Amino acid sequence: MDATARLRLERAVLAAVAAGIVLAPFVGTRLIIYNLTITALYAMVVVSLNIILGLAGQVSFAQTTFMAIGGYGSAILTTELGFDPVLAIIVSAALALVAALVIGAPLLRLRGHYLAMATFALALGTNSFVTAATPLTNGSIGISGVPPLAVAGHAVDTAFSYYVLSWTACAVAMAIFALLARSHIGRAWRAVATGQEIAASLGIDVTRAKLMAFAIAAVIASVAGSLYVEFTSFVGPDLYDIGIVLNVFLMLFIGGRGSLAGPVVGAAVLTFAPQFLAGLQQYQNLVFFGVLLILILVWPSGFFGRSRDSGPLREILPLWLRRRGVAR
Amino acid sequence: MPEALLRAERISVRYGRVDALHPLSLAAEPASLTLVLGPNGAGKTTLMKALAGAVELRSGAIWLRGREISALPAHRRVRTGIALVPEGRGRLPGLTVLDNLVLGHNGASRERRRARDGDIDEALALFPALKPRLNQDCSTLSGGEMQMLAIARALLAKPHILLLDEPSLGLAPLAIARVYEALAKLLDQGLGMVLVEQKAVPLRAARETTIVLRNGRAVFQEARRPDVDELAQLYLGARAA
Repeated sequence: MDATARLRLERAVLAAVAAGIVLAPFVGTRLIIYNLTITALYAMVVVSLNIILGLAGQVSFAQTTFMAIGGYGSAILTTELGFDPVLAIIVSAALALVAALVIGAPLLRLRGHYLAMATFALALGTNSFVTAATPLTNGSIGISGVPPLAVAGHAVDTAFSYYVLSWTACAVAMAIFALLARSHIGRAWRAVATGQEIAASLGIDVTRAKLMAFAIAAVIASVAGSLYVEFTSFVGPDLYDIGIVLNVFLMLFIGGRGSLAGPVVGAAVLTFAPQFLAGLQQYQNLVFFGVLLILILVWPSGFFGRSRDSGPLREILPLWLRRRGVAR
Repeated sequence: MPEALLRAERISVRYGRVDALHPLSLAAEPASLTLVLGPNGAGKTTLMKALAGAVELRSGAIWLRGREISALPAHRRVRTGIALVPEGRGRLPGLTVLDNLVLGHNGASRERRRARDGDIDEALALFPALKPRLNQDCSTLSGGEMQMLAIARALLAKPHILLLDEPSLGLAPLAIARVYEALAKLLDQGLGMVLVEQKAVPLRAARETTIVLRNGRAVFQEARRPDVDELAQLYLGARAA
Protein backbone atom coordinates (compact mmCIF):
# COMPACT_ATOMS: atom_id res chain seq x y z
CA MET A 1 0.00 0.00 0.00
CA ASP A 2 1.57 3.32 -0.99
CA ALA A 3 1.53 6.48 1.08
CA THR A 4 -1.47 8.15 -0.57
CA ALA A 5 -3.62 5.01 -0.41
CA ARG A 6 -2.72 4.56 3.25
CA LEU A 7 -3.57 8.19 3.97
CA ARG A 8 -6.91 7.81 2.17
CA LEU A 9 -7.72 4.66 4.15
CA GLU A 10 -6.75 6.36 7.38
CA ARG A 11 -8.99 9.35 6.59
CA ALA A 12 -11.88 7.03 5.72
CA VAL A 13 -11.47 5.10 8.96
CA LEU A 14 -11.17 8.35 10.90
CA ALA A 15 -14.43 9.56 9.37
CA ALA A 16 -16.13 6.24 10.11
CA VAL A 17 -14.88 6.29 13.71
CA ALA A 18 -16.09 9.86 14.16
CA ALA A 19 -19.51 8.95 12.76
CA GLY A 20 -19.69 5.91 15.03
CA ILE A 21 -18.82 8.01 18.08
CA VAL A 22 -21.51 10.55 17.24
CA LEU A 23 -24.16 7.89 16.60
CA ALA A 24 -23.31 5.53 19.47
CA PRO A 25 -25.24 7.41 22.21
CA PHE A 26 -28.46 7.09 20.18
CA VAL A 27 -28.21 3.38 19.55
CA GLY A 28 -25.70 1.97 22.04
CA THR A 29 -26.45 0.24 25.34
CA ARG A 30 -25.20 1.67 28.64
CA LEU A 31 -22.37 -0.85 28.63
CA ILE A 32 -21.26 0.17 25.15
CA ILE A 33 -21.29 3.86 26.11
CA TYR A 34 -19.28 3.06 29.25
CA ASN A 35 -16.73 1.09 27.28
CA LEU A 36 -16.49 3.77 24.62
CA THR A 37 -15.77 6.36 27.33
CA ILE A 38 -12.96 4.15 28.63
CA THR A 39 -11.79 3.74 25.02
CA ALA A 40 -11.56 7.52 24.59
CA LEU A 41 -9.46 7.92 27.75
CA TYR A 42 -7.12 5.06 26.86
CA ALA A 43 -6.87 6.34 23.30
CA MET A 44 -5.56 9.60 24.80
CA VAL A 45 -2.83 7.69 26.63
CA VAL A 46 -2.00 5.83 23.42
CA VAL A 47 -1.81 9.17 21.57
CA SER A 48 0.68 10.34 24.21
CA LEU A 49 2.80 7.20 23.69
CA ASN A 50 2.48 7.79 19.95
CA ILE A 51 4.16 11.18 20.37
CA ILE A 52 7.17 9.82 22.19
CA LEU A 53 7.41 6.45 20.39
CA GLY A 54 5.63 6.98 17.06
CA LEU A 55 7.10 10.40 16.30
CA ALA A 56 10.28 10.78 18.35
CA GLY A 57 11.12 7.05 18.24
CA GLN A 58 11.91 6.73 21.94
CA VAL A 59 10.74 3.66 23.88
CA SER A 60 9.27 4.85 27.16
CA PHE A 61 7.19 2.83 29.62
CA ALA A 62 6.42 5.89 31.72
CA GLN A 63 2.91 6.60 30.43
CA THR A 64 1.10 4.80 33.28
CA THR A 65 3.31 6.62 35.78
CA PHE A 66 2.10 9.94 34.40
CA MET A 67 -1.47 8.57 34.37
CA ALA A 68 -0.98 7.74 38.04
CA ILE A 69 0.22 11.28 38.78
CA GLY A 70 -2.95 12.58 37.11
CA GLY A 71 -5.21 9.99 38.75
CA TYR A 72 -3.87 10.14 42.28
CA GLY A 73 -3.23 13.87 41.99
CA SER A 74 -6.86 14.53 41.13
CA ALA A 75 -8.18 12.10 43.74
CA ILE A 76 -6.06 13.50 46.58
CA LEU A 77 -6.50 17.14 45.64
CA THR A 78 -10.30 16.88 45.39
CA THR A 79 -11.10 14.56 48.32
CA GLU A 80 -8.42 15.69 50.80
CA LEU A 81 -7.84 19.32 49.90
CA GLY A 82 -11.22 20.23 48.44
CA PHE A 83 -9.86 21.37 45.07
CA ASP A 84 -12.23 21.98 42.22
CA PRO A 85 -11.92 18.92 39.89
CA VAL A 86 -10.91 21.07 36.91
CA LEU A 87 -8.22 22.82 38.94
CA ALA A 88 -7.08 19.41 40.23
CA ILE A 89 -6.57 18.24 36.63
CA ILE A 90 -4.46 21.31 35.86
CA VAL A 91 -2.36 21.07 39.04
CA SER A 92 -1.81 17.32 38.48
CA ALA A 93 -0.77 17.93 34.87
CA ALA A 94 1.72 20.56 36.06
CA LEU A 95 3.11 18.01 38.52
CA ALA A 96 3.41 15.46 35.71
CA LEU A 97 5.24 18.04 33.60
CA VAL A 98 7.73 18.76 36.37
CA ALA A 99 8.20 15.02 36.98
CA ALA A 100 8.79 14.45 33.25
CA LEU A 101 11.42 17.19 33.10
CA VAL A 102 13.19 15.94 36.24
CA ILE A 103 13.16 12.29 35.09
CA GLY A 104 13.72 13.04 31.43
CA ALA A 105 16.56 15.57 31.57
CA PRO A 106 19.24 13.14 32.74
CA LEU A 107 17.82 10.05 30.98
CA LEU A 108 17.31 11.59 27.56
CA ARG A 109 20.92 12.73 27.35
CA LEU A 110 21.82 9.09 26.91
CA ARG A 111 21.34 7.15 23.72
CA GLY A 112 20.41 3.51 23.42
CA HIS A 113 18.19 1.47 25.70
CA TYR A 114 18.62 3.47 28.89
CA LEU A 115 15.29 5.26 28.58
CA ALA A 116 13.40 1.99 28.06
CA MET A 117 15.18 0.31 30.98
CA ALA A 118 14.77 3.20 33.38
CA THR A 119 11.12 3.87 32.54
CA PHE A 120 10.34 0.16 32.82
CA ALA A 121 11.72 0.30 36.35
CA LEU A 122 9.62 3.41 36.90
CA ALA A 123 6.48 1.62 35.68
CA LEU A 124 7.17 -1.31 38.02
CA GLY A 125 7.89 1.09 40.89
CA THR A 126 4.73 3.14 40.37
CA ASN A 127 2.40 0.32 41.36
CA SER A 128 4.54 -0.60 44.39
CA PHE A 129 4.85 3.02 45.45
CA VAL A 130 1.12 3.81 45.44
CA THR A 131 0.45 0.53 47.26
CA ALA A 132 3.03 1.30 49.93
CA ALA A 133 2.47 5.05 50.41
CA THR A 134 -0.66 4.41 52.48
CA PRO A 135 -0.92 7.83 54.22
CA LEU A 136 -1.03 9.53 50.84
CA THR A 137 -2.77 6.99 48.64
CA ASN A 138 -4.72 4.75 51.06
CA GLY A 139 -2.62 1.79 49.88
CA SER A 140 -4.23 -1.13 48.12
CA ILE A 141 -7.73 0.01 49.12
CA GLY A 142 -7.39 3.12 46.97
CA ILE A 143 -9.41 6.33 47.15
CA SER A 144 -13.10 6.32 46.32
CA GLY A 145 -15.67 9.08 46.15
CA VAL A 146 -13.70 11.26 43.77
CA PRO A 147 -16.17 13.98 42.73
CA PRO A 148 -17.18 14.36 39.08
CA LEU A 149 -16.12 17.31 36.98
CA ALA A 150 -18.12 20.46 36.57
CA VAL A 151 -17.71 22.46 33.39
CA ALA A 152 -19.08 26.03 33.47
CA GLY A 153 -21.26 25.23 36.45
CA HIS A 154 -22.75 22.06 34.96
CA ALA A 155 -21.73 18.86 36.69
CA VAL A 156 -20.53 16.26 34.22
CA ASP A 157 -22.05 13.35 36.07
CA THR A 158 -24.21 11.47 33.59
CA ALA A 159 -22.85 8.69 31.39
CA PHE A 160 -23.72 10.72 28.30
CA SER A 161 -22.06 13.96 29.43
CA TYR A 162 -18.92 12.10 30.41
CA TYR A 163 -18.94 10.35 27.07
CA VAL A 164 -19.00 13.71 25.28
CA LEU A 165 -16.32 15.15 27.53
CA SER A 166 -13.96 12.16 27.10
CA TRP A 167 -14.22 12.14 23.33
CA THR A 168 -13.73 15.90 23.23
CA ALA A 169 -10.56 15.52 25.30
CA CYS A 170 -9.41 12.67 23.05
CA ALA A 171 -10.09 14.75 19.93
CA VAL A 172 -8.02 17.59 21.40
CA ALA A 173 -5.15 15.18 22.09
CA MET A 174 -5.38 13.88 18.52
CA ALA A 175 -5.42 17.42 17.15
CA ILE A 176 -2.29 18.23 19.19
CA PHE A 177 -0.67 15.10 17.78
CA ALA A 178 -1.59 16.02 14.19
CA LEU A 179 -0.32 19.59 14.59
CA LEU A 180 2.92 18.46 16.20
CA ALA A 181 3.49 15.80 13.54
CA ARG A 182 3.29 18.41 10.79
CA SER A 183 5.25 21.11 12.58
CA HIS A 184 8.94 21.78 12.61
CA ILE A 185 9.38 19.85 15.85
CA GLY A 186 7.56 16.87 14.27
CA ARG A 187 10.07 16.83 11.43
CA ALA A 188 12.90 17.08 13.93
CA TRP A 189 11.41 14.17 15.95
CA ARG A 190 11.29 11.97 12.89
CA ALA A 191 14.93 12.77 12.16
CA VAL A 192 15.81 11.94 15.77
CA ALA A 193 13.84 8.67 15.51
CA THR A 194 15.87 7.58 12.48
CA GLY A 195 19.30 8.65 13.64
CA GLN A 196 20.33 10.90 16.48
CA GLU A 197 23.75 11.54 14.99
CA ILE A 198 22.24 12.61 11.65
CA ALA A 199 19.74 14.80 13.48
CA ALA A 200 22.52 16.51 15.45
CA SER A 201 24.49 17.08 12.24
CA LEU A 202 21.46 19.03 10.97
CA GLY A 203 21.60 21.36 13.94
CA ILE A 204 18.83 19.67 15.94
CA ASP A 205 19.29 19.73 19.71
CA VAL A 206 18.51 16.03 20.12
CA THR A 207 18.22 16.03 23.91
CA ARG A 208 15.86 19.00 23.90
CA ALA A 209 13.70 17.50 21.13
CA LYS A 210 13.35 14.22 23.03
CA LEU A 211 12.64 16.02 26.29
CA MET A 212 9.88 18.01 24.60
CA ALA A 213 8.20 14.83 23.34
CA PHE A 214 8.54 13.23 26.77
CA ALA A 215 7.05 16.27 28.55
CA ILE A 216 4.12 16.79 26.15
CA ALA A 217 3.31 13.06 26.34
CA ALA A 218 3.43 13.22 30.15
CA VAL A 219 0.90 16.07 30.30
CA ILE A 220 -1.54 14.30 27.95
CA ALA A 221 -1.26 11.02 29.89
CA SER A 222 -1.76 12.86 33.17
CA VAL A 223 -4.95 14.58 31.95
CA ALA A 224 -6.27 11.23 30.70
CA GLY A 225 -5.44 9.71 34.10
CA SER A 226 -7.32 12.50 35.90
CA LEU A 227 -10.38 12.20 33.65
CA TYR A 228 -10.43 8.43 34.10
CA VAL A 229 -10.46 8.70 37.89
CA GLU A 230 -13.06 11.46 37.94
CA PHE A 231 -15.20 9.34 35.61
CA THR A 232 -15.06 6.15 37.69
CA SER A 233 -14.81 8.16 40.98
CA PHE A 234 -12.13 5.72 42.15
CA VAL A 235 -8.37 5.36 42.05
CA GLY A 236 -6.31 2.35 43.13
CA PRO A 237 -2.94 0.71 42.43
CA ASP A 238 -4.41 -1.84 39.99
CA LEU A 239 -5.04 0.94 37.48
CA TYR A 240 -1.28 1.36 37.12
CA ASP A 241 -0.16 -2.24 37.06
CA ILE A 242 2.74 -3.04 34.72
CA GLY A 243 0.28 -4.96 32.51
CA ILE A 244 -1.58 -1.72 31.79
CA VAL A 245 1.41 -0.02 30.21
CA LEU A 246 2.00 -3.11 28.12
CA ASN A 247 -1.64 -2.93 27.01
CA VAL A 248 -1.06 0.69 25.97
CA PHE A 249 1.88 -0.49 23.85
CA LEU A 250 -0.29 -3.23 22.36
CA MET A 251 -3.00 -0.68 21.53
CA LEU A 252 -0.42 1.45 19.71
CA PHE A 253 1.07 -1.51 17.84
CA ILE A 254 -2.37 -2.69 16.71
CA GLY A 255 -3.31 0.80 15.56
CA GLY A 256 0.01 1.62 14.01
CA ARG A 257 2.86 3.75 15.28
CA GLY A 258 2.92 7.27 13.97
CA SER A 259 -0.65 7.24 12.67
CA LEU A 260 -3.46 9.55 13.78
CA ALA A 261 -6.42 7.15 13.82
CA GLY A 262 -4.43 4.14 15.04
CA PRO A 263 -4.64 4.83 18.78
CA VAL A 264 -8.46 4.97 18.71
CA VAL A 265 -8.67 1.70 16.79
CA GLY A 266 -6.13 0.01 19.07
CA ALA A 267 -7.79 1.27 22.24
CA ALA A 268 -11.24 0.18 21.02
CA VAL A 269 -10.02 -3.31 20.11
CA LEU A 270 -8.42 -3.90 23.51
CA THR A 271 -11.28 -2.35 25.49
CA PHE A 272 -13.96 -4.42 23.80
CA ALA A 273 -11.93 -7.63 23.32
CA PRO A 274 -12.41 -8.86 26.93
CA GLN A 275 -16.22 -8.96 26.37
CA PHE A 276 -15.73 -11.35 23.51
CA LEU A 277 -13.07 -13.28 25.34
CA ALA A 278 -15.12 -13.59 28.54
CA GLY A 279 -14.87 -17.38 28.44
CA LEU A 280 -11.10 -17.15 28.25
CA GLN A 281 -10.72 -14.84 31.25
CA GLN A 282 -7.59 -16.40 32.71
CA TYR A 283 -5.99 -16.64 29.29
CA GLN A 284 -6.66 -13.02 28.39
CA ASN A 285 -3.06 -11.88 28.81
CA LEU A 286 -1.84 -14.91 26.91
CA VAL A 287 -4.12 -13.96 24.02
CA PHE A 288 -3.13 -10.25 24.16
CA PHE A 289 0.57 -10.81 24.18
CA GLY A 290 0.35 -13.64 21.68
CA VAL A 291 -1.34 -11.10 19.41
CA LEU A 292 1.48 -8.59 20.08
CA LEU A 293 4.10 -11.20 19.17
CA ILE A 294 2.31 -12.12 15.96
CA LEU A 295 1.85 -8.44 15.09
CA ILE A 296 5.54 -7.71 15.47
CA LEU A 297 6.46 -10.74 13.38
CA VAL A 298 3.93 -10.26 10.61
CA TRP A 299 2.62 -6.72 10.68
CA PRO A 300 4.98 -4.52 12.69
CA SER A 301 3.65 -1.23 11.37
CA GLY A 302 0.08 -1.99 12.53
CA PHE A 303 -3.18 -0.92 10.97
CA PHE A 304 -2.08 2.47 9.62
CA GLY A 305 1.61 2.41 10.39
CA ARG A 306 3.99 4.60 8.45
CA SER A 307 6.75 2.05 8.32
CA ARG A 308 6.90 0.02 5.12
CA ASP A 309 8.58 -2.74 7.05
CA SER A 310 6.79 -5.98 6.24
CA GLY A 311 7.98 -7.82 9.34
CA PRO A 312 10.50 -10.60 9.75
CA LEU A 313 8.03 -13.46 9.32
CA ARG A 314 6.55 -12.14 6.10
CA GLU A 315 10.06 -11.83 4.73
CA ILE A 316 11.40 -15.13 6.00
CA LEU A 317 8.39 -17.41 5.55
CA PRO A 318 8.18 -17.27 1.73
CA LEU A 319 11.92 -17.90 1.55
CA TRP A 320 11.63 -20.85 3.87
CA LEU A 321 8.67 -22.30 1.99
CA ARG A 322 10.47 -21.88 -1.31
CA ARG A 323 13.50 -23.68 -0.01
CA ARG A 324 11.28 -26.58 1.08
CA GLY A 325 9.74 -26.68 -2.36
CA VAL A 326 6.29 -25.88 -0.92
CA ALA A 327 5.86 -22.64 -2.82
CA ARG A 328 7.53 -20.97 -5.72
CA MET B 1 49.64 35.08 10.00
CA PRO B 2 45.93 35.57 9.43
CA GLU B 3 43.65 33.11 11.18
CA ALA B 4 42.75 30.07 9.03
CA LEU B 5 39.09 29.38 8.24
CA LEU B 6 39.30 26.01 9.98
CA ARG B 7 42.19 24.99 12.15
CA ALA B 8 42.59 21.77 14.11
CA GLU B 9 45.56 21.54 16.42
CA ARG B 10 46.80 18.06 17.45
CA ILE B 11 43.32 16.59 17.80
CA SER B 12 43.04 12.93 18.83
CA VAL B 13 40.18 10.54 19.56
CA ARG B 14 40.09 7.44 21.67
CA TYR B 15 37.34 4.78 21.73
CA GLY B 16 37.72 2.98 25.05
CA ARG B 17 41.31 1.79 24.95
CA VAL B 18 41.74 2.10 21.21
CA ASP B 19 43.41 5.15 19.73
CA ALA B 20 41.17 5.80 16.75
CA LEU B 21 42.92 8.99 15.79
CA HIS B 22 46.45 9.96 16.81
CA PRO B 23 47.21 13.67 17.22
CA LEU B 24 46.65 15.37 13.87
CA SER B 25 46.69 19.00 12.82
CA LEU B 26 45.13 20.55 9.76
CA ALA B 27 44.08 23.92 8.42
CA ALA B 28 41.61 24.79 5.67
CA GLU B 29 40.94 28.03 3.81
CA PRO B 30 38.02 29.26 1.72
CA ALA B 31 37.91 27.47 -1.65
CA SER B 32 40.48 24.95 -0.45
CA LEU B 33 40.23 21.19 -0.63
CA THR B 34 41.55 18.92 2.09
CA LEU B 35 41.45 15.40 0.75
CA VAL B 36 41.58 12.62 3.33
CA LEU B 37 42.43 9.19 1.93
CA GLY B 38 43.04 5.86 3.58
CA PRO B 39 41.90 2.25 3.76
CA ASN B 40 38.92 1.03 5.78
CA GLY B 41 39.29 1.57 9.50
CA ALA B 42 42.08 4.11 9.09
CA GLY B 43 40.24 6.75 11.12
CA LYS B 44 38.80 8.86 8.30
CA THR B 45 35.24 8.87 9.62
CA THR B 46 36.54 9.43 13.14
CA LEU B 47 38.39 12.52 11.94
CA MET B 48 35.19 13.86 10.34
CA LYS B 49 33.16 13.13 13.46
CA ALA B 50 35.78 14.85 15.56
CA LEU B 51 35.59 17.97 13.39
CA ALA B 52 31.76 17.90 13.38
CA GLY B 53 31.48 17.27 17.12
CA ALA B 54 29.92 13.81 16.94
CA VAL B 55 32.72 12.32 19.03
CA GLU B 56 34.60 13.83 21.94
CA LEU B 57 38.21 14.89 21.51
CA ARG B 58 40.78 13.26 23.73
CA SER B 59 43.18 16.08 23.12
CA GLY B 60 43.70 19.12 20.94
CA ALA B 61 41.41 21.94 19.87
CA ILE B 62 39.49 23.14 16.82
CA TRP B 63 38.95 26.76 15.70
CA LEU B 64 36.54 28.00 13.08
CA ARG B 65 37.13 31.56 11.88
CA GLY B 66 39.17 32.22 14.98
CA ARG B 67 36.57 30.94 17.40
CA GLU B 68 37.29 27.81 19.39
CA ILE B 69 34.52 25.28 18.76
CA SER B 70 35.97 22.12 20.34
CA ALA B 71 33.68 22.34 23.37
CA LEU B 72 30.48 22.84 21.36
CA PRO B 73 28.11 19.88 20.84
CA ALA B 74 27.45 18.82 17.24
CA HIS B 75 24.14 20.66 16.83
CA ARG B 76 25.69 23.96 17.90
CA ARG B 77 28.83 23.49 15.87
CA VAL B 78 26.71 23.43 12.68
CA ARG B 79 25.54 26.93 13.44
CA THR B 80 29.09 28.25 13.61
CA GLY B 81 29.52 27.24 9.96
CA ILE B 82 30.80 23.68 9.71
CA ALA B 83 28.43 21.11 8.20
CA LEU B 84 28.83 17.36 7.85
CA VAL B 85 27.47 15.16 5.07
CA PRO B 86 27.64 11.86 6.95
CA GLU B 87 28.85 8.53 5.69
CA GLY B 88 25.92 6.56 4.27
CA ARG B 89 24.14 9.80 3.33
CA GLY B 90 21.82 9.93 6.37
CA ARG B 91 18.57 8.89 4.75
CA LEU B 92 15.51 9.83 6.84
CA PRO B 93 12.59 7.62 5.75
CA GLY B 94 9.15 9.13 6.27
CA LEU B 95 10.37 12.64 5.47
CA THR B 96 9.95 14.19 2.05
CA VAL B 97 12.75 15.81 0.09
CA LEU B 98 11.38 19.21 1.08
CA ASP B 99 11.19 18.17 4.77
CA ASN B 100 14.87 17.26 4.56
CA LEU B 101 15.78 20.64 3.13
CA VAL B 102 13.72 22.50 5.72
CA LEU B 103 15.43 20.47 8.46
CA GLY B 104 18.80 21.34 6.97
CA HIS B 105 17.98 24.97 7.47
CA ASN B 106 17.84 24.25 11.21
CA GLY B 107 21.60 24.56 11.23
CA ALA B 108 21.54 28.05 9.76
CA SER B 109 22.00 31.08 11.95
CA ARG B 110 18.92 32.89 13.20
CA GLU B 111 19.12 35.82 10.77
CA ARG B 112 19.66 33.43 7.90
CA ARG B 113 16.53 31.41 8.65
CA ARG B 114 14.27 34.20 7.40
CA ALA B 115 15.71 33.66 3.93
CA ARG B 116 14.70 29.99 3.91
CA ASP B 117 12.81 29.77 0.63
CA GLY B 118 15.55 31.58 -1.27
CA ASP B 119 18.18 29.30 0.24
CA ILE B 120 16.19 26.21 -0.73
CA ASP B 121 15.88 27.48 -4.31
CA GLU B 122 19.61 28.07 -4.39
CA ALA B 123 20.35 24.52 -3.21
CA LEU B 124 17.92 23.14 -5.78
CA ALA B 125 19.61 25.14 -8.54
CA LEU B 126 22.76 23.16 -7.78
CA PHE B 127 20.86 19.84 -7.91
CA PRO B 128 17.97 20.31 -10.37
CA ALA B 129 17.31 16.54 -10.29
CA LEU B 130 15.73 17.01 -6.83
CA LYS B 131 13.23 19.61 -7.99
CA PRO B 132 10.52 17.29 -9.35
CA ARG B 133 10.86 15.10 -6.26
CA LEU B 134 10.26 17.72 -3.57
CA ASN B 135 7.14 16.07 -2.14
CA GLN B 136 8.38 12.52 -2.48
CA ASP B 137 9.44 10.46 0.52
CA CYS B 138 13.25 10.50 0.51
CA SER B 139 13.29 6.71 0.92
CA THR B 140 12.23 6.51 -2.75
CA LEU B 141 15.35 8.34 -3.99
CA SER B 142 18.20 6.55 -5.72
CA GLY B 143 21.60 6.51 -4.05
CA GLY B 144 22.85 9.34 -6.26
CA GLU B 145 19.78 11.49 -5.63
CA MET B 146 20.01 10.84 -1.91
CA GLN B 147 23.65 11.93 -1.92
CA MET B 148 22.66 15.13 -3.69
CA LEU B 149 19.92 15.67 -1.11
CA ALA B 150 22.38 15.04 1.74
CA ILE B 151 24.72 17.68 0.29
CA ALA B 152 21.90 20.15 -0.42
CA ARG B 153 20.59 19.63 3.12
CA ALA B 154 24.02 20.35 4.60
CA LEU B 155 24.40 23.45 2.40
CA LEU B 156 21.20 24.91 3.83
CA ALA B 157 23.06 25.42 7.10
CA LYS B 158 25.10 27.95 5.08
CA PRO B 159 28.44 26.47 6.10
CA HIS B 160 31.87 27.95 5.48
CA ILE B 161 33.34 24.46 5.65
CA LEU B 162 31.70 21.34 4.26
CA LEU B 163 32.78 17.94 5.57
CA LEU B 164 31.98 15.09 3.16
CA ASP B 165 32.39 11.49 4.29
CA GLU B 166 32.79 9.19 1.27
CA PRO B 167 30.13 10.78 -0.93
CA SER B 168 30.91 8.41 -3.83
CA LEU B 169 30.48 5.21 -1.81
CA GLY B 170 28.19 2.77 -3.61
CA LEU B 171 27.19 5.19 -6.36
CA ALA B 172 27.06 4.52 -10.10
CA PRO B 173 29.81 6.28 -12.13
CA LEU B 174 27.34 8.73 -13.66
CA ALA B 175 26.00 9.71 -10.24
CA ILE B 176 29.55 10.16 -8.93
CA ALA B 177 30.29 12.46 -11.86
CA ARG B 178 27.20 14.57 -11.08
CA VAL B 179 28.09 14.83 -7.39
CA TYR B 180 31.67 15.89 -8.15
CA GLU B 181 30.48 18.39 -10.72
CA ALA B 182 28.44 20.07 -7.99
CA LEU B 183 31.33 19.92 -5.51
CA ALA B 184 33.59 21.63 -8.05
CA LYS B 185 31.07 24.46 -8.37
CA LEU B 186 30.92 24.84 -4.60
CA LEU B 187 34.71 25.07 -4.40
CA ASP B 188 34.60 27.77 -7.07
CA GLN B 189 32.08 29.66 -4.97
CA GLY B 190 34.59 29.74 -2.14
CA LEU B 191 33.42 26.92 0.11
CA GLY B 192 36.18 25.16 2.06
CA MET B 193 35.96 21.39 1.83
CA VAL B 194 37.27 18.42 3.76
CA LEU B 195 36.62 15.34 1.64
CA VAL B 196 37.05 11.74 2.71
CA GLU B 197 37.36 9.08 0.02
CA GLN B 198 38.97 5.66 -0.31
CA LYS B 199 40.48 6.29 -3.70
CA ALA B 200 41.59 9.14 -5.92
CA VAL B 201 38.97 11.76 -6.80
CA PRO B 202 38.42 13.79 -9.97
CA LEU B 203 38.26 17.03 -8.01
CA ARG B 204 40.94 19.71 -8.09
CA ALA B 205 41.34 22.97 -6.23
CA ALA B 206 43.95 25.70 -6.48
CA ARG B 207 44.76 25.18 -2.84
CA GLU B 208 44.72 21.64 -1.65
CA THR B 209 46.20 19.31 0.92
CA THR B 210 46.13 15.53 0.85
CA ILE B 211 46.21 13.56 4.06
CA VAL B 212 46.60 9.78 4.01
CA LEU B 213 45.53 8.02 7.18
CA ARG B 214 46.56 4.54 8.22
CA ASN B 215 45.77 2.99 11.59
CA GLY B 216 44.64 6.36 12.91
CA ARG B 217 47.88 8.14 11.94
CA ALA B 218 48.59 10.63 9.18
CA VAL B 219 51.27 8.88 7.13
CA PHE B 220 51.22 11.54 4.42
CA GLN B 221 50.26 15.20 4.64
CA GLU B 222 51.37 17.40 1.76
CA ALA B 223 50.15 20.00 -0.70
CA ARG B 224 50.56 17.51 -3.59
CA ARG B 225 48.77 14.26 -4.27
CA PRO B 226 50.58 10.95 -3.98
CA ASP B 227 50.72 9.01 -7.25
CA VAL B 228 49.19 5.55 -7.55
CA ASP B 229 52.31 3.61 -6.55
CA GLU B 230 52.99 5.87 -3.62
CA LEU B 231 49.39 5.57 -2.46
CA ALA B 232 49.55 1.78 -2.65
CA GLN B 233 52.67 1.83 -0.52
CA LEU B 234 51.06 4.15 2.00
CA TYR B 235 47.97 1.94 2.22
CA LEU B 236 50.04 -1.19 2.63
CA GLY B 237 52.26 0.36 5.23
CA ALA B 238 55.65 0.41 3.49
CA ARG B 239 57.63 3.60 4.15
CA ALA B 240 57.11 6.24 1.53
CA ALA B 241 60.26 7.40 -0.12
